[in-house]
Amino acid sequence: MSLVQPAAAPEAISPLREAWIVYRRNRPAMFGTLLLAVIVAFVLYGTFLYAGDPYEIVWAPQTPPGTEASVPLGTDYLGRDMLRGLLKGGGPTLSVGAAAAIITLLIGVSLGGIAGYFGGWLDDLLMRVTEFFQVLPALLFAMVVITLFSPSPITTAIAIGVVLWPQTARLTRAEFLKIRELEYVTAARSIGARNGRIMWRVILPNALPPLIVSATLTVGVAVLFQAGLSFLGLDDPNTMSWGLMIGTNRQYVLDAWWPVTLPGVAIFLTVFAVSLVGDGLNDAFNPKLRER
Amino acid sequence: MTDGALLDVQGLSVRFAMPRRSPFGERLHLEAVRDVSFSLRPGRTLGLVGESGSGKTTTAMAAIRLKPAHAGAVLFEGIDLLGLDAEEMRQRRRHLQVIFQDPYSSLNPRQRVGAIVREPLDLMVADEPASRRDDRVRELFGLVGLRLDQMALFPHQFSGGQRQRISIARALATRPRLIVCDEPVSALDVAIQAQILNLLRRLQESHGLSYLFISHDLGVVQFICDDIAVMYLGQIVEHADRPALFSRPRHPYTAALLAAAPSLARRKSAGYVREAVVRGDPPSPVNIPHGCAFASRCPHTQPRCREERPLLRADAGGAVACHYPLG
Amino acid sequence: MAGPLLSIRDLKVEFATRNGPVTALDGISLDLMPGETLGVVGESGCGKSITALAAMGLIPDPPGRVAGGSILFDGEDITHADAARLRSLRGTEISMIFQEPMTSLNPVFTAGDQIAEAIMLHQKAGRAEAGRMAVELLRTVGIPEPERRARSYPHELSGGMRQRVMIAMAISCRPRVLIADEPTTALDVTVQAQIFDLMRDIQQEFGVAIMLISHDMGAIAEMADQVAVMYAGRVVETGSADAILDDPLHPYTRALIGCIPVLGKAAGLEGRMPPLAEIPGIVPPLHLLGRGCAFADRCPLAFDRCRAERPVLEGRPHRVACFAAEMEAA
Repeated sequence: MSLVQPAAAPEAISPLREAWIVYRRNRPAMFGTLLLAVIVAFVLYGTFLYAGDPYEIVWAPQTPPGTEASVPLGTDYLGRDMLRGLLKGGGPTLSVGAAAAIITLLIGVSLGGIAGYFGGWLDDLLMRVTEFFQVLPALLFAMVVITLFSPSPITTAIAIGVVLWPQTARLTRAEFLKIRELEYVTAARSIGARNGRIMWRVILPNALPPLIVSATLTVGVAVLFQAGLSFLGLDDPNTMSWGLMIGTNRQYVLDAWWPVTLPGVAIFLTVFAVSLVGDGLNDAFNPKLRER
Repeated sequence: MTDGALLDVQGLSVRFAMPRRSPFGERLHLEAVRDVSFSLRPGRTLGLVGESGSGKTTTAMAAIRLKPAHAGAVLFEGIDLLGLDAEEMRQRRRHLQVIFQDPYSSLNPRQRVGAIVREPLDLMVADEPASRRDDRVRELFGLVGLRLDQMALFPHQFSGGQRQRISIARALATRPRLIVCDEPVSALDVAIQAQILNLLRRLQESHGLSYLFISHDLGVVQFICDDIAVMYLGQIVEHADRPALFSRPRHPYTAALLAAAPSLARRKSAGYVREAVVRGDPPSPVNIPHGCAFASRCPHTQPRCREERPLLRADAGGAVACHYPLG
Repeated sequence: MAGPLLSIRDLKVEFATRNGPVTALDGISLDLMPGETLGVVGESGCGKSITALAAMGLIPDPPGRVAGGSILFDGEDITHADAARLRSLRGTEISMIFQEPMTSLNPVFTAGDQIAEAIMLHQKAGRAEAGRMAVELLRTVGIPEPERRARSYPHELSGGMRQRVMIAMAISCRPRVLIADEPTTALDVTVQAQIFDLMRDIQQEFGVAIMLISHDMGAIAEMADQVAVMYAGRVVETGSADAILDDPLHPYTRALIGCIPVLGKAAGLEGRMPPLAEIPGIVPPLHLLGRGCAFADRCPLAFDRCRAERPVLEGRPHRVACFAAEMEAA
């Protein structure tokens, strides 16, 4: 017996809208959303306000931030403008992160969904494949993928996506296994829905909440992963990114802290904002927390 | 074969594979439904009664192919449903619909209830013009006692009884001939239960529906069913029409169910003490006893009951599976 | 005549919700006499489970809160007793069994260990002795092969046996009050009958007073001496089981009895059964209740006064809160 029956509201509140109402009240999540919006805005529009080639040597090497008006955030070991690098490098960093998360979602949801829905030998087979990918050392495997093809943001995104999908696949499978036993799935079959419709129109929308949360967190992981690859020099050196900035300046960190720290802070803030959003989504979609 | 039957189930068996104990071990099966036969005549209600684990829901779901059957035949209007290919079966589903037990999990929480009721029409009578389908949805909302302005709401905005009305509207949408009612009122409060039971009966009379009605509640069964099959551990142990079953139960298990069912007439104040209550719990369906499945709990067990499995045989208008049926 | 063992007086319990505070129990009064069974009956949401929790001092706070009234156990006001006093009362004087025995038992301990644990918590007994007592209790509640079953884990027991284990735990310290919240709702009818028989046996043997919370009038008829009918957080009628069942005064009680498809009535007759009585509409949400009678909107006998003024329980020993019933009686 439930303690208190909520009244049937007169207007139609969709579950998504209800989640948004809860999300809006969640202060950390709204802070994360705002922070992420600011970061994305800087990356998208910053280069218009502060244009310039990030590879161009503009001033004396290792000029500290705030000491020279023409390079407000200082310069790196070659004398390149840090602010130009941060603004220009944010685009590839964020888009590779987002693209990797989308690739992860595409592979993971289709394979996990098929495995969870059909079960049987297909499930066994797909899960063995998933486990195989999962036990491969992730970084090493990504390095192999990148070296096989030429380094470029697209290759990096694919490499990260190929490494990260098994988790999403397992999550999707677990959700599908759970939801396919519910009566509304049997009801869909009884009114003549075919497998495809049941999988993608009935089960998937109901499995979305944990998948959305996991996808947001994957964006954060992918950004970090990409930074790691750049740091190891495996990223395309002709595409500026935050990871690349850290990687190229790491030898001189004892002489100058800012060329490594500033992109590091940028990555930290991005991942922090994304995980606040992810946590907020998790709470918003979790019906147990909703009744507060 | 029964003449004029809408649904004729013959020798239906359902088994579930159990996980192997070891990779080379023998695969064990859980015999959920064993050689069940019954038939349902048009316009009537057949009750499948039993406790949890008796296989009553599995029997009905296997009969309309929402669960796979292991053996048997299910003739619906003379055609064996188990022999149809997937697409033929899908086409035929518009004639056999289901009302589920749990009003909280049988409606997709992400669909508006108008769309839920409309979906069977879109899937199975798509050749009808869209406006006709819209009209039909409105008509259905009226039939089950819901307001039209509620069509845009989502399932979680309704009470249990209202959700069950939505479920009934969905089942009625394609004008089916047979509706499987899987414990449709067991999750509802008594006051709401009465509303839904009366509605189901009104709809049966106005639409000429046939119900295969699954329930554990003999009071409900007595109200709505014309014929009753009592199941125990995957088998039918007694099959009779309502007056006969309730006034002269033949199988000791039926008698035990009747004795155990709550009734307002049994009062503590009158010093009511139950006679011959069945002992213990039903045996496991993985390891079914050799003789009569009920022998371990029956108050009248004889040695023969433990050795020889009684078959369901015709007896005074009904049928009973017992070596020593009651008076 | 001895006074009531457990007495609830004008108890008011509120819950904080998003829609503001909701009154889940609105001034209810109940008396449980020693050695008797009080049946509390009503539909889901009527407050019967909250009544049980309140009697145990288990209202989750927050969001719940006792906003008024009192709970007396054997004359002692335990409404605002401290946590230590409530703990010692629970288990020794008052125990409770719940609807779902699977979730009320800890899955990682054996049945015997859990009963022994309950014994050691409240009695001076060593582990070995508590273990022996646990086996004896399992025998008392009718579990076959109690030595073997004491070593079983909850998932190895059937639903009926788990509920017997719960009852064994509840009576391990010889409580004077047993609160049973829908103890058989999750069980099959044949097993339900066994549990009722067991509860009656225990009452005869130990003289325990039972408060039986149920939605099932049949169970109430079979088990209860006294009955309280609840609706929307209020007690609308109370009296002996015979008075309530044979001569219900409140329109809600009458409707509730009328809408049950009971066995026996005309079951053996040919032809269709007559339609069941219906109560129109649904239970109103608690936060939308007006000043008057909570049942007024669904009541066939309601008149102006019912919507304006709230009826209180009148009469003795058969008490009813209804203006129409009052006029009928006068």
